[in-house]
Amino acid sequence: MTHTPPPAPTRPARRSIWERFSFVWIIPIASLLIAFGAAAQVWLDRGPLIEIAFEDASGVRAGDTELRYKDVAVGAVEDVRFSDGLDQVIVAVRLSKEIAPFVDEDANFWVIRPEVTTQGISGLDTVLSGVFIEGNWDNLASGMVATHDGLAAAPVLRAGQEGIGIRLRAGDGVSLVEGTPILFKGLVVGRVGIPTLDASASAAEANAIVFAPYDKLISSATRFWDTSGFTFSIGAAGATLDFSSMAALLSGGVTFDTIVSGGKAVSDGDQFEIFTTESAARASLFSAGEGELLNLTVIFDENVSGLAPGAPVELDGLRIGEVATLTGLVDAERFGDEAVRLLATIAIGPARLGLNSDDPDAPLQFFVDRVADGLRARLASASILTGGLKIELVTIEGVARAALDVVAEPYPVLPTTQSDISDVSASAEGVFQRINDLPVEQLIASAIGFLDTATALAADEDLRRLPDEALALLGDARGLVTSDETQALPAQFSTLLQELTAASADMRAVVASVREADAVARLLGAIDAAQVAMGSLEASVEGVPGLVEQLDAVAQKANALPVDDLVAQLSETAVSLEAFLTADGTKNLPASLSSALGEMEAALAELREGGAVTNVNRALQSAGDAAEALEQATGSLPDLVARLNALVRNANAAVAGYDSRSDFGRSAREALREIERAADAVASLARALERRPNSVILGR
Amino acid sequence: MQLVGMERAGTASVLTARGSGLVTCRQCTRVWPMATEICGRCGTKLRSRDDLSMQKVWAWWLTGVIAYVPANLYPMLETRALFDTQDSTIVGGAVDLLLHGAPVVALVILIASVLIPVGKFLAIAYLAVTVGRRAQTRNADRHKLFEFVEFIGRWSMIDVFVVAILSSLVQLSSLATIKPGPASLAFAISVIATMISAQSFDSRMIWDTGFPPKAPQA
Repeated sequence: MTHTPPPAPTRPARRSIWERFSFVWIIPIASLLIAFGAAAQVWLDRGPLIEIAFEDASGVRAGDTELRYKDVAVGAVEDVRFSDGLDQVIVAVRLSKEIAPFVDEDANFWVIRPEVTTQGISGLDTVLSGVFIEGNWDNLASGMVATHDGLAAAPVLRAGQEGIGIRLRAGDGVSLVEGTPILFKGLVVGRVGIPTLDASASAAEANAIVFAPYDKLISSATRFWDTSGFTFSIGAAGATLDFSSMAALLSGGVTFDTIVSGGKAVSDGDQFEIFTTESAARASLFSAGEGELLNLTVIFDENVSGLAPGAPVELDGLRIGEVATLTGLVDAERFGDEAVRLLATIAIGPARLGLNSDDPDAPLQFFVDRVADGLRARLASASILTGGLKIELVTIEGVARAALDVVAEPYPVLPTTQSDISDVSASAEGVFQRINDLPVEQLIASAIGFLDTATALAADEDLRRLPDEALALLGDARGLVTSDETQALPAQFSTLLQELTAASADMRAVVASVREADAVARLLGAIDAAQVAMGSLEASVEGVPGLVEQLDAVAQKANALPVDDLVAQLSETAVSLEAFLTADGTKNLPASLSSALGEMEAALAELREGGAVTNVNRALQSAGDAAEALEQATGSLPDLVARLNALVRNANAAVAGYDSRSDFGRSAREALREIERAADAVASLARALERRPNSVILGR
Repeated sequence: MQLVGMERAGTASVLTARGSGLVTCRQCTRVWPMATEICGRCGTKLRSRDDLSMQKVWAWWLTGVIAYVPANLYPMLETRALFDTQDSTIVGGAVDLLLHGAPVVALVILIASVLIPVGKFLAIAYLAVTVGRRAQTRNADRHKLFEFVEFIGRWSMIDVFVVAILSSLVQLSSLATIKPGPASLAFAISVIATMISAQSFDSRMIWDTGFPPKAPQA
């Protein structure tokens, strides 16, 4: 019933090793091999670790920061730690294996950071990627050095770059800035390194590189000068504005020139001075090798401003030295007074005199000899603009003997002579002195006094009344016309005409006698006489203004009279004028004129009868002249009329001022009307005479 | 029945098919006599025990452990945001998250990436070491542990999935990119090896304790 299962087949006692071990073991073994292989690969490929000591490793991060050579990553920072004294940062860098042998003793390392300087912007890529360490070494594999000192900044001369390293020294007035380009004719041919102070702290020094092939330009005769910024100077040569280019103005720069040939080759580390200006640099070339300077003391009696240290010392126009120091000197014992003297120490370069002999006493002996010949020092103008002075050494003939005081301390004393500063500035000074001496104050005081007086005068009440008085004077003149004598004038005129009539009657008699005896000349003479009479008539009319003047006083008096009296007089005047106009004489005037003309006509008729036409013509000519004279006389009548009119207007105005209702006003107006009428009569007379002057003669 | 009852008491071993001189087909579960080599029903090759099971387990286990070392040493993610590149390992990233105030996420990452893999290693090693021995724990508990290891294995790849998804999603060119680090590959290998190791374990061997194969009856 029970189903017994068949016995299990027995296995062989031993199986083969392939059966006892699973092939799966290959997998962990393979993975182990791979892991170890990879680890070994990494280990073997791993380059050596070098340590670089930096003063400041800002931005350097372990694992992040790369070491780059020619901008290619050749390593990575593995560790950043401090040195034992905490004064440096040790950066451990894992180098790539193939680059390691080149990282030898000469290798330089520095950290590249973004920088903005006047030379430009650099390291901009590190803004995004973070800083990196730049390494630089030559291409000679001379064994790895494990520890290095990092540089604070990129070196001026990269390894593998050819050039000459010189040392630049900058005194006052020159600012050395790291990275300043060294320019030659506008090209950047070198760079200035980090400046440091020299041992005495008197000047800044910096290593500088002039790259190949420009290093050939440098010789011992090369001079460097600063081209940064600009120089504006007013000196002995006038005003100078000097700058090299706008770029150099901004970024600074040092340039150089080899001014003369024949300089010796320079070697690495030779020192050069940086001069402030090109001119100073060029000038210095000739001062090179001056040898020991000869110091002399010069004492000037006059203490003139304008001399300054550095002022030139010239011998016959040649600059041989300069003023080293200036000081005052009071030495009563030596000079006999207490005056301050100008003591100048001058430094003379014997080389400039061509005294290059080896004998150190030769320059001094030269001056001893020359002083014996009359060489003297004197102050002279160096610039008329600035008033700068220089010291001239001149030989003066026949000067009092003097010798170079060789034993004087501290330096030999060179005798002096009269200064030669009679230049423009001195003259200008004289002019200014004279202007200063002018009594300007008194002048101005007088002027002020005068102006004060004039002001007072102008403000004077009397003066202000002057125009009023002038007006009054005119009024007086007008009053004159109304005076009796003027009124009498027509009467006189009438009388004159009557006399003329009589004269015509006489003339007629004369003509009658002429007719008998052909004395035309006599007729002419008579006509001439008539003409003269006419002239005198004219003169009498001309004399009226004089009369006016004479009557001025009277008029003034009349003016001073009370107005009532004046009006009364005016009325009287008007009445008398009327009377005058209605007088027989006046009425008779035309009649008399007519008769006179009639007489004249008769005379002319007789003349006509006499048949001497030419004579008559001449007589008529004379009569014409006489008429002309009459015309002139009548010409002044319109003036008279104008004055009368003006008088009437004035009087009208005056009368209008009064109450028109008063009797006075009425009578005055009547008087005025009378006057007007009289004036009109005179005017019509005058017009008639004007229109037809011959009517006087012809009676029409 | 009596024996079974004894096993239920928990002190002795249970009667196994092998102990009864039988072999089971693992496909169709038909029991055949021990000597049967091919299942008469479904044609599957019959083996009472996989003799090389433990070797496979240990081999895969070792591979998993080896791969797990670089998975923790190398960065799992390379995060590049604008100018900053950040590499984070699994534990480093979790610590970063913890410090930045995300302890829950940190805990999830630690559990998924550290606790579970390490627990799997330990569990498989424990099972492999104790198989065939009379262990402190009961065989049934060991079997449950094995089943749990098998169940959890499929979830162990969650880290790798996160990396894969992130790196394919966050590709904003220069602004921000996430790339899988070398650790992700190693971690994937480790997880795969661990899973194979667990599958290689012949769980029937758990029950063989104290019961040498019954000698064929003469």
